[in-house]
Amino acid sequence: MLNIKNLWVLNIAGVEVWITETIFNTWLIMLFLIIFAVIARIKLHNFKTVPTGFQNFIEAVVEAFDGFASNALGEKLSYIAPWFFMVFALILSCSLFSIFGVRAPTADFATTFALAFATFILMFFMGFKHRRGSYLKSFFEPHPVFFPLNLIGELSKPVSLSFRLFGNMLSGTIILTLYYGLTPLFVQIGIPALLHAFFDVLFGALQTYIFVIISLMYIKGAAD
Amino acid sequence: MRELAIAIGMIHIAAAIALLNGLLTTFGQARVASQAIESIARQPEAADSIRSAMFIGLALSETSGIYGLLIAIIMLFANPLVDILVNLLG
Repeated sequence: MLNIKNLWVLNIAGVEVWITETIFNTWLIMLFLIIFAVIARIKLHNFKTVPTGFQNFIEAVVEAFDGFASNALGEKLSYIAPWFFMVFALILSCSLFSIFGVRAPTADFATTFALAFATFILMFFMGFKHRRGSYLKSFFEPHPVFFPLNLIGELSKPVSLSFRLFGNMLSGTIILTLYYGLTPLFVQIGIPALLHAFFDVLFGALQTYIFVIISLMYIKGAAD
Repeated sequence: MRELAIAIGMIHIAAAIALLNGLLTTFGQARVASQAIESIARQPEAADSIRSAMFIGLALSETSGIYGLLIAIIMLFANPLVDILVNLLG
């Protein structure tokens, strides 16, 4: 489980496209999330004023995340909360997916870097949209000499954001792989559940929260 | 062959040294947590905002530990210098 397995090699117009374990698992999670979203969308027609059951759950989750985002961002910027709700759902289901003993897509640097790079682009976009000239000027703040330093500081944000999530998920994967590889068969029943609860559920939920709140902090810092 | 064995042994020692930064990271995180607990004990009504600030502080100070882990993993599993050495030895 240390190496990312390659499942198929597609040949599209002479270019080899590798379908790795990560891509396949991400597709499964996307399928699950999309089906869930479609069910929620269909059920939206017969939602009532007083929520019960499924509607109650959906409303509680969305309201909790909206409150959390507008708390971190302020009312003016909280219109980007849906994007981060998507990121939250994706990373959380990715880390919970590894409970089934498969490799979590977030234990691949490509996935985490893609998510962090999206945050980076969003940060620049929000900065330009809300502050225009003064955002550019903030790169030359105390003095123009500091421009390279400020630029490195901005460029290191997606790197640290992605490495944090990747390192945490990879360390859980490595420890579980070592456990499964080194112990005899009779201790592999029951005891790994504790390790999975600690490394996948607890760390996964904590790192998801941290990824989202640090992204929100970066965007608030750029746009305010 | 002997050179390769020495190089691989050195890589393992270097990975162990890279993981030693966990010591300082742990001290930093322990300091964040103890300060947060002190402030919660002093002001229990501000516990929620202190807790969220504590998680952010823990995550930011964890970054250096994660960098050490990644350096160790890269040295063990994806070291470009080993390939160069293998090519040199033929």
